[in-house]
Amino acid sequence: MTETRYDVRLHVNGTVHDVQVPARRLLSDALRHDVGLTGTHVGCEHGVCGACTVLMDGRPVRSCLVLAVSAVDAEITTVEGLADADGSLGPVQQAFKECHGLQCGFCTPGFLTTITAGLEENPSPTPEEAREMVAGNLCRCTGYQNIVASVLRAAELRGGDA
Amino acid sequence: MKAASFAYHRAESKEEAVSLLSEHGDDAKVLAGGQSLIPMMNLRLARPSRLIDIGHCPELAQLERVGGTLACGATVRHVRFERADAPELAACRALSDAARLIGHAPIRSRGTIGGSLAHGDSSSEWCLMMLVLDAVIQAESGRGVRRIPAHDFFQGFFTTALAEDELLSAIELPLTTVGSALAEHSRRRGDFAIVAAATRLVADQRLRVTTARIAMGGVASQPIRMPSAEDVLHGVDLTDRRSTMEAVSEAAHMCAASIQVSDDIHASSQYRRRLASTLVRQALSRSAQDWRTAGD
Amino acid sequence: MTETLPSTADARGTRVVNHGVKRQDSLEKLLGKTRYAGDFDVAGQLHARLVRSPVPSARIVSRDATAAMDVPGVVAVLFGEDVPNNDIPTNTAGIKGRPLPPSWVLAVDRVRYHGEPVALVVAENTRALAAAEALVDVEYDVLPVVSDPEAALEHDSSEVHEGGNLLSQWRIDRGDVDGAFADAPIIVEGRYEAQVVDHAYLEPETGIGWLDDEGVINIRVSTQEIEHYRRIARVVGLPDAKVRVQAPYLGGGFGGKEDMTVEPYIALAVLRTGRPVKMVWSRQESLTARAKRHPVRMHYRTAAAADGTLLAHDIQIVSDAGAYPLLSGFVLLYITLNAAGPYRCDNVRVHSRAAYTNNTPGSAFRGFGGMQPVLAYEAQIDKVADAAGLDRVEVRKANAFEAGDRIPAGQRIDTAVWLPQCIDAVLDAIGPRPVPSSPEHRVGLGLACNVQPYGRVAWMNDSASAWVGCERDGGVVVRCGVPDVGGGQVSSLAQIAAEVLHVPLEKVTVHFGDSARTPLAGRTTATRQLYMSGNAVLSAAEELRAQLVQGVVKGTGHGAADLTLAEGGVLTPDGVVPLAEVVAMCMANGVAINAMKTYFAPTGEPVRELVDSERIVPDFTFGAHAAYVEVDTRTGEVRPLRYVAAHDVGRAINPLSVRGQIEGAVVQGLGYALSERIVYDEGVNLTGAFYQYAIPTAADCPEIEVKILESGEGVGPFHARGIGEPPIGPCAATIASAVEDAVGARPTTLPMLAETVLACVDEGAAR
Repeated sequence: MTETRYDVRLHVNGTVHDVQVPARRLLSDALRHDVGLTGTHVGCEHGVCGACTVLMDGRPVRSCLVLAVSAVDAEITTVEGLADADGSLGPVQQAFKECHGLQCGFCTPGFLTTITAGLEENPSPTPEEAREMVAGNLCRCTGYQNIVASVLRAAELRGGDA
Repeated sequence: MKAASFAYHRAESKEEAVSLLSEHGDDAKVLAGGQSLIPMMNLRLARPSRLIDIGHCPELAQLERVGGTLACGATVRHVRFERADAPELAACRALSDAARLIGHAPIRSRGTIGGSLAHGDSSSEWCLMMLVLDAVIQAESGRGVRRIPAHDFFQGFFTTALAEDELLSAIELPLTTVGSALAEHSRRRGDFAIVAAATRLVADQRLRVTTARIAMGGVASQPIRMPSAEDVLHGVDLTDRRSTMEAVSEAAHMCAASIQVSDDIHASSQYRRRLASTLVRQALSRSAQDWRTAGD
Repeated sequence: MTETLPSTADARGTRVVNHGVKRQDSLEKLLGKTRYAGDFDVAGQLHARLVRSPVPSARIVSRDATAAMDVPGVVAVLFGEDVPNNDIPTNTAGIKGRPLPPSWVLAVDRVRYHGEPVALVVAENTRALAAAEALVDVEYDVLPVVSDPEAALEHDSSEVHEGGNLLSQWRIDRGDVDGAFADAPIIVEGRYEAQVVDHAYLEPETGIGWLDDEGVINIRVSTQEIEHYRRIARVVGLPDAKVRVQAPYLGGGFGGKEDMTVEPYIALAVLRTGRPVKMVWSRQESLTARAKRHPVRMHYRTAAAADGTLLAHDIQIVSDAGAYPLLSGFVLLYITLNAAGPYRCDNVRVHSRAAYTNNTPGSAFRGFGGMQPVLAYEAQIDKVADAAGLDRVEVRKANAFEAGDRIPAGQRIDTAVWLPQCIDAVLDAIGPRPVPSSPEHRVGLGLACNVQPYGRVAWMNDSASAWVGCERDGGVVVRCGVPDVGGGQVSSLAQIAAEVLHVPLEKVTVHFGDSARTPLAGRTTATRQLYMSGNAVLSAAEELRAQLVQGVVKGTGHGAADLTLAEGGVLTPDGVVPLAEVVAMCMANGVAINAMKTYFAPTGEPVRELVDSERIVPDFTFGAHAAYVEVDTRTGEVRPLRYVAAHDVGRAINPLSVRGQIEGAVVQGLGYALSERIVYDEGVNLTGAFYQYAIPTAADCPEIEVKILESGEGVGPFHARGIGEPPIGPCAATIASAVEDAVGARPTTLPMLAETVLACVDEGAAR
């Protein structure tokens, strides 16, 4: 019994990827295994931890709760797509580096994507709003203190760009 | 873990979705935003053999004022309600407040109102709000459209009035939600509520309550209304704070007394009753305050 | 102090050490380029999965893989009989009594906990794996379940292992406890209970293995201990040198990746199939079946003089070890050792017991037994202060250990005890009491202190080796077999080498975490890695520095006394010789351009049941925490508003990393205090999914302020103390004390769920 495979065209970080996947392939697995972008991590596969968060048309989604076949029309951004065009760190990444916003780094890609979208929505968050912005992503190393600081710093850096 | 295999159909229109359901309803599940269904499939708590993806049907994603109601397509995402400043949501602040209590941003940007209602979780914010707003849920099939009042919709543990071949296509909501409130208690922000209470008071021009609605989550296998506690509030003069508070307290007390719950790993039955009383009181107080503010 | 301690450089005027440098690993991690264990694939790889017991206690009647093998794509199904050495011996060093039973790679005739592995399925793809897993036919004859550790120790209990359910016990018997109680004006008593919790790192257990051209099984795995290669070799029946373990950067460990997880299964599958094999545990497997923190029940009686001086403790503790011994004996030793906390007390009796049950095995978790008793000893000292009518802070300071004091188990504290300084630091920083957010809310202030050993138990004869060398281009290379669990272990070693050799940090490359290619440095556990491998790198770098000077002596004819290391090379009376030239001079003159050193921790004789010894652990770290919380008196919900943590770290190698460790530990401790728990129903784990296990989110956490104190005394490099584990200790006691201050009654059971706290609100109101 072979499983039906579907031709799926994914738009990831500005590049088109044509993959053949079964309907049950999660977007997280398609990104990691079919597209080869392993920066998106899988921590629970039921939508709780947020490590697999990517952007679909600019909005944060749990890639473990989206079927790859459902993601065909969307522009997907992963952590690999957050760097500036010259390969240097984007503002949120830069802020994490400056503020020591990561330790083991496993949850970090999910935070980076979530914050990137969050700052689009709210470019100058208060410390409390910064906490709220990342409340759907779990981190077990940092105590969130430096992640919240990174959100605020990223807001400054983005403002500086404008 | 990963989901088990299934066949996949993508509907490009509402018509196609209804037709696919007519053909496959007996072994198919409808996939909207997937924020309830996919985790259950990943945990293998659900193993549908067929999915009908309605996430790409434009007419199901519309939110607009139609006549005297707010017509809400099944696949309108939670995030759409968060922005209270959207013109079609004027006077519907309670919907925004409720939406912001659902999970976290990445869940809200994908999850849909129709998906939440069809899932029928006992403590779901949308289910409770639909009960107190007297929403009407449209179920569409090859046999036509059935308009189901919310209070008839939730029938048991993750069980709704939808027939196998029926698509939850739209929800009819009142154009104003003044006097509605939702209060919940969860372990962490964004978690499923242990107990939740939604309330709505409708008042006449003199601020006397003409209609009261109380719905509770986390206290039964499905979201439920509390009709006898609602009755206590009829005719209450909201400008009289003292008698309002007395009625609110009595209603809260009745809710706590009437629920049938057993202990589970999240809470003892005794604690759930206390939460019920506290949350109903909170929500009703806010409902009453909402009218006073609206009357100012 | 110990003779084995290498000469440590004076930290004053350091260029790299003691500075908050950006960690070397952060750039790749931020770009999504770091490849964690699960991010590796090898062409032709198979996938493996365990069939686990759905019941906590049963005899295995039969096992049949016929149907599973018929699934297309299934390559092999292994049972216990297929494992060359199916038993994993328990390391029992120092624990008296009957030999402890082994754990089993795959259970053969008996399962003892929910989720115990019974069969290993290997297949071409995960789909076949899932289908086959369901078809491996195991018949269980269900046996009685032992679920309560105290009931397990009764004579009429069913046995988890033959010979009774007592796994180990420890005693301290110091001074005249009964005499002290007989005369004491103040006697306080309390019962305290802490729950089972999970490490809940974000990266579940994962690894991939393959056979290389030399017939060595290579396993790239998320582990805190690459030296498991020996245990893996024993399981598969190969010489130790035929197994190589590599640990790439981990997605967190916290003790949960100290015991083996996927390793033996990967090795078995590789050996059976000859092909690469990947194994990824799901979050549910991790939560259900991997070892947890031990729950404990603690009964304390404490006697004190009228002036608050502690006179005696009489302490009884029962710990639930779960179904297999793993590290339970050592965790219980740490519970016992730390039972009286950071306070002087001449009369101490502790009797602690660990019992087998059919719950998930308990093992290592950040804090390792130093953690559980904090809840109890901090509540007891508050009670003493209250009974004496004295200030809780002053009573702590008056009773605090000082350098030179002996802990109840006998060992003398050799280094400074800055407990009073830590207390002052947190109380200075905690600030004014916040105003409650409504009339229904109450605000309270809490304070708690702790002591936590760092480094391994003395009779483990711990050592760590490191190699430091120069490249011809003037670069510096460190080779050291540390696994980096995320705490910045690797980056700290680079700092030390850069400091000693006077090169910029970016000139140092560290090769780490490879049992075949990097000198063995031991596990990243027990808050030992900076202490142990840091000392090894320090002494290797110092030796190399001397060699470089020697090379320049031979190359230039200057006397060694005229030479010093300077930025970029060696400073001579004629100017700086760049490092690349120094290297060339060494090579031309027969001077080695690398050095390898092994650091040996102080050793001691094993203790046998009675814990009474001059040397049990290398040293201790002390700290104090303070917090404001707000309690909602209607729901019992506790919201931490502000948190300050102070620890004396001796000397911070990287203050940024120290701060990060403390902040992270505080939040993990807040989860322990307020929300996290594994729940069993007669041995069946009811909290096997992440939505059921509530680790704190950013919205649950307060502002945390960290106070790094530096006494300049510690046994690590540059007089650093270990800081990985200590800051998780005081959190629960701090919150309990704050809740008591807010509502008038103190929670004694963890976690302090809203429902538990609401009972305290009622109790406080009734007073």
